[in-house]
Amino acid sequence: MQFSNIINASLIYATFRASTPIIYAALCAAITQQANILNIGTEGIMLVGAFTAVTVSYLTGNWLLAILVSMIAGMAIALIMAVGHIKYKAEICAIGMGINMFALAITKYLLNSILGKSGSFSDPAIVGIPKVHIPFLDNVPVIGEIFNNWAITEWFVIILVIVITFLFYKTVWGLRLRAVGRFELAAQTAGINVNAMKYQAILISGLIGGLAGAHLSLGYSNLFTEGMTNNRGFMGVAAMYFGNAHPVFTAVGCLIFGFADSVGARVQAYGVPSQFVLMMPYIITVLVLAISMASKKAAEKKRKSSLTV
Amino acid sequence: MKKKLLSVLLVAAMTVCMAACTNQADVNTDDSAAEESTDDAAAADDAAAAGEETASDESAAGSGIRVAVVYSGNLGDKSYNDSCNEGAMKAQEDFGVEIKSLEGTTAEEWEANFLACCEEGYDLVICSSSNFEEYMKEHCANYPDVKFAVIDTTVEGDNIQSISFAQNQGSFLAGAAAAMFTEMTDIEGVNEDAIIGWVGGMDIPVLHDFYVGYEQGAKYINPDITVLQSFAGTWNDPLKGKELALAQFDQGADIVMNVASGTGPGILEAAKDAGKYAIGVDLNQDADQPGHVLTSMVKRVDTACYLTIQSVVEGTFQGGTTSYLTVADGGVSLTDFAVMKEALGDQFPTEIEDKVAELEEMIISGEIVVDNYEGFGANQ
Repeated sequence: MQFSNIINASLIYATFRASTPIIYAALCAAITQQANILNIGTEGIMLVGAFTAVTVSYLTGNWLLAILVSMIAGMAIALIMAVGHIKYKAEICAIGMGINMFALAITKYLLNSILGKSGSFSDPAIVGIPKVHIPFLDNVPVIGEIFNNWAITEWFVIILVIVITFLFYKTVWGLRLRAVGRFELAAQTAGINVNAMKYQAILISGLIGGLAGAHLSLGYSNLFTEGMTNNRGFMGVAAMYFGNAHPVFTAVGCLIFGFADSVGARVQAYGVPSQFVLMMPYIITVLVLAISMASKKAAEKKRKSSLTV
Repeated sequence: MKKKLLSVLLVAAMTVCMAACTNQADVNTDDSAAEESTDDAAAADDAAAAGEETASDESAAGSGIRVAVVYSGNLGDKSYNDSCNEGAMKAQEDFGVEIKSLEGTTAEEWEANFLACCEEGYDLVICSSSNFEEYMKEHCANYPDVKFAVIDTTVEGDNIQSISFAQNQGSFLAGAAAAMFTEMTDIEGVNEDAIIGWVGGMDIPVLHDFYVGYEQGAKYINPDITVLQSFAGTWNDPLKGKELALAQFDQGADIVMNVASGTGPGILEAAKDAGKYAIGVDLNQDADQPGHVLTSMVKRVDTACYLTIQSVVEGTFQGGTTSYLTVADGGVSLTDFAVMKEALGDQFPTEIEDKVAELEEMIISGEIVVDNYEGFGANQ
């Protein structure tokens, strides 16, 4: 086993490539979490987004339109959650799980009825999200290898993390959203329309979830497979917990997952038992959550002790 | 009251889902329902059973033989499962038997689907892969009137027919072709390193039988070659497959064989994205990413499925037997490189084709004996 074959420049892009779908998913979960709503349905929203993106891209040949429609589809699914949770006071976890099961079934059904395929769908007519090729980087050795030929959505996720961070912590809207999440009653007393804020949070979350799906099926690959999210939505939720719904820390959590995955893929090729490598993401998930919970608890304790003094 | 209404609505929604999926006999849905609440599951089960009964009445007009095929994975993988389904569909056309396909992606679903078929009183239950081995060992004896068949592995039992393949021989040829190809540095994307790759779906014995042959074939051509091996751990995550294949390309491999069912399309796509090459499996996958798939190791799962159904229709089904399809009887083979020839034009190295044909003869004549993974081979 050669160390340089496992840790090298291409590992950086591999890590980022594997993390991007999870970052989108985590942002989708973070927005609702700021309003104290646990978005378990991320997985389902993503799956619907992935399916819509492939279908629209295949039928129209326009990737931008495909992304837009899949974002709207994601929002439509999120709307079901929003109405169920806010208007009919249904338990959000139950609705989320329902959405995930529904997404699996509806995409399977539509795959069959619209595209006439079962299982998976790939076709040369599917137009993927273009990759950004920076010509002058071709001749720069390491940097060129790392940063060239990223999909547009891979660059966009960085912008999105910054925008959402700004939105949360530097705007009135973000302040209100966090107020609703912290203490609903107080927010209401302050004249914030709590339900409106919650609706907005869930719908925007749906938009991002749809985008996450579109990236999965058009940016990361160029196909759709039943259940292609394969728990990436749940990993996003875990990363969101790790980052305490702060976009930047959340993204860091996702990068840890992506890194574990990419290193695993490289180590395996040299005879490390696959069972062990495939276990890694789950071990990392447990570790990451344990650490984040422990630090949260410590912070809480500190805050409480300073109150009494 | 509202909660009650909601639960009624949920049950209704589930029933609608069931109805929507009846042509696929989606046992998955009522399986997941079972985890949620037993009451709902019972209701859903009733609905499913009712739907199935009417379906069977209508199509029993043919030969009256009802066949269920259970899959470990989904149809549409353009690989193993689709190949099996092709055989089943052909049998349906030729003999007028009724075919029911049940797909499932998790072990719980496999067992539930399998048991559902046993209970439903099908004449023949075909387990499409070795993932069903344990359930067959446990349950087949309890259903003496049902005929069972299993592809890709051997399960003992008076009512079980086993069909397996010499995938090690086919993989030997694939490995040899890959080992020769990785030396052709004048072809675009082929580097100087003698490194080839192999990505499998789940880490199960039959895949090791593939790998043993692949490695032996590669080493037969070049004893110093490095073969990289990875498992995705799933049959239906093309993105995971893509990531594993890209990692192997980064590590110097220029051609990667996939043995991964639904995970495979991602591996072929990785070859295209990286400007490298792949080898298809089970079905002819050469045209999936034209110009990037050197050849495919075709495994005639369709023939196995078809012959089994035929034996039941003609009354020649014999439990407790094992058949082993090899290179000699066309059970496994490589494709004719046609798509790659067209893509590369004059650059196509014809010596690969000639050498593969030569090796094939040597395997048939017994001059080359391809190793088996423990538990596989003609006498197992």
